[in-house]
Order: sequence, then C-alpha cells, then structure tokens
Amino acid sequence: MSVEEIAPMVDIAASGLRAQSLRLNLIAGNIANAQTTRTVTGEPYRRKDVVLQTTGGGLGGVTVLNIQRDSSAFRQVLMPGHPDADEDGFVRMPNVHLPVEMMNLTTASRAYQANVAVLKRYQDMVETTVELLR
Amino acid sequence: MDQSARLTDYLEAGLRAAGLRQSVIADNIANMATPGFRRRAVPFEQAFAEALAKGEPVRMDGLFRHVHRPMTDPVNDIGNDVQLETEVADLVRNGLLYKTYARLLGRMYQQMERAIVTET
Repeated sequence: MSVEEIAPMVDIAASGLRAQSLRLNLIAGNIANAQTTRTVTGEPYRRKDVVLQTTGGGLGGVTVLNIQRDSSAFRQVLMPGHPDADEDGFVRMPNVHLPVEMMNLTTASRAYQANVAVLKRYQDMVETTVELLR
Repeated sequence: MDQSARLTDYLEAGLRAAGLRQSVIADNIANMATPGFRRRAVPFEQAFAEALAKGEPVRMDGLFRHVHRPMTDPVNDIGNDVQLETEVADLVRNGLLYKTYARLLGRMYQQMERAIVTET
C-alpha cells in the first residue's frame, strides 16, 4: 500500500472539514454582525457566504472558490432614536436573517460531523485490513 | 536473506519516519496560534520512492533532513498557515501508515522466527 493509495479518502474528508469549518466561521461572523450598521464601505454589514466547487474532475473533494457578499437588500427598521436613523426614523440594518443563519449553522455543523464520520469509518476500514497482518 | 534484511531496514525507516512525522504534526497543532509560524512536513515516502525509482541507494539515516517547511499553504491574518483539519487528517493517515509498517515488520520477524524454529 503506497502513501498515494491511502491519501485520497483522507484528503477528501479533510477538504470537506475545511470547507464546513470556513462556513461555520462565516456564519459566526454573520450572527455577530447582525446589528452592525457601519462598515469600512460606509454601508451596513452584508452577510457573507461561500461558493464551493469540486476539486478537479475526479474524486478530489471540495475547494472554496471564493467568499461572496450577499447582494440582497438591507432590512429597513424603524428606530427613530438610533444614531444612524434617516429623517423618517428608519435605519438600514444588515441583510442578515437570524433564522436563516441558525439553519445554516445546523447544516454546516452536521456536514462537519458527517466528514468526521467518513474519516473515522475509513480509519476503521484500513485498520481492519491491517489486522489481517497479525 | 539479503532481500528480506533490506526490506526490514526499509520498514524500520518508514516506521521511524512515521514516528517523527507524528511529532512534527503535534508541533504544528501546538503552534496553531503562533504568529508567523509556518507548518512543517516530512515527505519521507516521496523521497524514498524517488530514490528507489532512480535506482539510487536509499539513505536511512538522518531522518531529520526530511523535515521541511512547504511554505505553499495560504497564511491567515497572523501569518500562520496551520489548518487544524489538514493536520488532523495527516494525523489519521500517519497513524494508519505507522500501524501498517509496524504490522508488516512484525509479520517479517514472525516469518524469520518460524524459519529458525523449523531448523532446530
């Protein structure tokens, strides 16, 4: 058994782990910035999401193509006392919707666990084969 | 005899390389939050395969010269390129390699022992 033969499944699972961990990070950032009205661009915070792509044409796992900002409209909230309120008392709030983020949080952490399960199961498989050498 | 003696040497070198790699991975994980730290790797098997393919003699000593920093992974905001997921995957793979080498080595010694016992 060469290193290259052991590699693919471990690397595929690891790529899934990396992608889901990045998603979890972005969701954490989105939730933390759900009320952020000021960013460096002058706009309220825009939620971030990942674009995932398969690696190569074959069994190569997943790569993060890029991190995109959600271009959907900001929420308009009536908060006349807010320092960033306009003349009518409306504040532009980030386009982060907590129920959506919570749902994504669940799917991302479940997907992370699924990749760990693949890694564990593969480890068990190889160990079973190696046991034949006893 | 010569062939099998060389094979045990190879397996032993692989076993020692896997042991060294375990420490290197542990060091990478320990330095996950160290600013400017770049991860280290032990591409022993690749060097070994290349030497074999070229028909060059394989050097089994000085395993530490195989330890190097790839410097190819993207760095994060503290200039560190250690990714926990990658290291854990390497740890799993290395554990499997170690086990395979150890079992193969054990099997070879078993065979030798059997040959000695039948002789007497």
